[in-house]
Amino acid sequence: MTAVPAPAPPRRRSRTRWIRWTIIAVALFWALTPLFFLLLTSLKPANAFLEIPPRLLPRSITLENFRVAFNDFDALRVATNSLVVTTAVIAVSLLFGVPGGYALHRLSVSPRVVIFFVGVLLFVRFYPRIASIVPWFLAMRELGQLDTRLAIILGHLGLTLPLTTWLMHTSFRQVPSEFDEAAIVDGAGLWQRLVRVQIPLVAPGIAAAAILSAFLSWNEFLIAASTTREGAKVLSVTVAAFITDKGVLWGPMAAIAALIIIPPLAFALIAQKNLVRGLTGGGVKG
Amino acid sequence: MGTAPGRWGFPGPSRLSGRRDPQTGLWLFLAPVIAVVAAQLALLIWTALLAGQDWVLTQSQQAEGWVGVDNFGAVLSDPIFWRSVRNTAVITGVSVPLQLLIGVGLAYATLEVSASRWIRTALLAPMVIAPVAVGIVWRLMLNVQAGPVNNFLLAPLGIKGPVWLGDPGWALVSVIAVEIWEWTPFVLLLAAAGLTGIPDDIREAAKVDGATPWQRVRLVEFPIMKSVILLIVLFRTLESLISLDVIISLTRGGPGWATFTLPYYIYSLGLRNFDLGRASAASLLFMAVAVVVSTAMVRSQTKAQL
Repeated sequence: MTAVPAPAPPRRRSRTRWIRWTIIAVALFWALTPLFFLLLTSLKPANAFLEIPPRLLPRSITLENFRVAFNDFDALRVATNSLVVTTAVIAVSLLFGVPGGYALHRLSVSPRVVIFFVGVLLFVRFYPRIASIVPWFLAMRELGQLDTRLAIILGHLGLTLPLTTWLMHTSFRQVPSEFDEAAIVDGAGLWQRLVRVQIPLVAPGIAAAAILSAFLSWNEFLIAASTTREGAKVLSVTVAAFITDKGVLWGPMAAIAALIIIPPLAFALIAQKNLVRGLTGGGVKG
Repeated sequence: MGTAPGRWGFPGPSRLSGRRDPQTGLWLFLAPVIAVVAAQLALLIWTALLAGQDWVLTQSQQAEGWVGVDNFGAVLSDPIFWRSVRNTAVITGVSVPLQLLIGVGLAYATLEVSASRWIRTALLAPMVIAPVAVGIVWRLMLNVQAGPVNNFLLAPLGIKGPVWLGDPGWALVSVIAVEIWEWTPFVLLLAAAGLTGIPDDIREAAKVDGATPWQRVRLVEFPIMKSVILLIVLFRTLESLISLDVIISLTRGGPGWATFTLPYYIYSLGLRNFDLGRASAASLLFMAVAVVVSTAMVRSQTKAQL
């Protein structure tokens, strides 16, 4: 390397460009091929997966596997359960987490208390659920909530409410306090101030919290599986159950797996920007 | 003193303007959060209590008395427990550094590339889908008879692919590879956010001063990226230690106990054998490790915020 910072000669620059795009192409191939293959398998005729010799591309495309999934595996009811649980989890997380984050920001307590509480929130969000799954199952049994959607919703709130509160607390702290002070001078009450003044200002944070809660709840398996028998089955539980019971039905299994992966993928595409903000969680300015 | 300086450089809530918020209202706002948090902590205390009792749910509807530390003894003398410890250490120890290496590399590769946001979003796909579905996807990919890895990738190269999920050694390799597939995007995401956060004039200044690309990375960008990398390592280590779903849908811990991890060991004790006492004891041992890691994580997180 010369010490003179001359602009790189065009040939070298085009070579680094070439290397760069090769890396990107390989990475895209590695990340996306498995997903395409799953979708492809879900669209092949039921037993085509194990055809000999194996074929990469299907001879014909059919929705037969999805028909089997809906008729024989109750995919409609299961997907509805997933949708109900996720919607409720987002709604309740925001309903309690947004005011909670605001309160944490405005309470006249020592900053140390706030930091400690934020630490507790992070702990509750991240501690391994496997460590509390047995008491969780026992608690739901005591409350007569086994095999209900309510049990799953409550379990997921244990993850998403601390997360939402933490994210919202971070968001509210970035709002200059003049907004609050002006509203106080105008005689606005707490609730009014939160709804009229603050919430519009932290809308991106709310969107990020909602998206993250949605992903967590939709994809979650352990909590949902621990209390579910049949009636409250969600997609993740059904997908996992295929392994033991019906491991040979590759087609319908791929179809149900497709049902659980398509919504988050579509959503990630639509909500790129907020997703990145949410996933990096305020830890890194993104 | 006017307003206290906020942690982000903005003025914090003014405590001296004479107008304090109605504290009762704020506590009411926080009450549901406190309730949920308290319930979660109570569950962990319940786990601790169960760990001291003899209770196998398939034999009895109630706990059958206190047994002291017998459950811990039983877990610690169980060879499958130690196998699980080893597997967990191997999976985390191998997959996290590789994720870090590949992810940071990709962050650099996609830096300042046109359409980089679309490329990165596409690369994020593996981490936004359900982990149980990740296991299914790779069961298809690695299937010996019809899976594309052996039949369309290795066969044309003249390589006879291994029985990925049927051989103890290759099953562990498969789990590690799938972990890397699923979570490298997370590293990419955070590393890219960190790199984008480095002001262009710093990079320019280094260039003007004649720093070679390697010097720029080592002397200018690495010190700035250090806290981000630390955060990534802590997050990934913790999440990797506690990951369970992929094992459930990919290998079920098999073949034999070849891919038993600590969470899967607890899962099979508690939710398949219904040995609540032993599962709880194993949970506590496992939590001890996880708490050490998460405390470090929380520390670095709060430090970054203050």
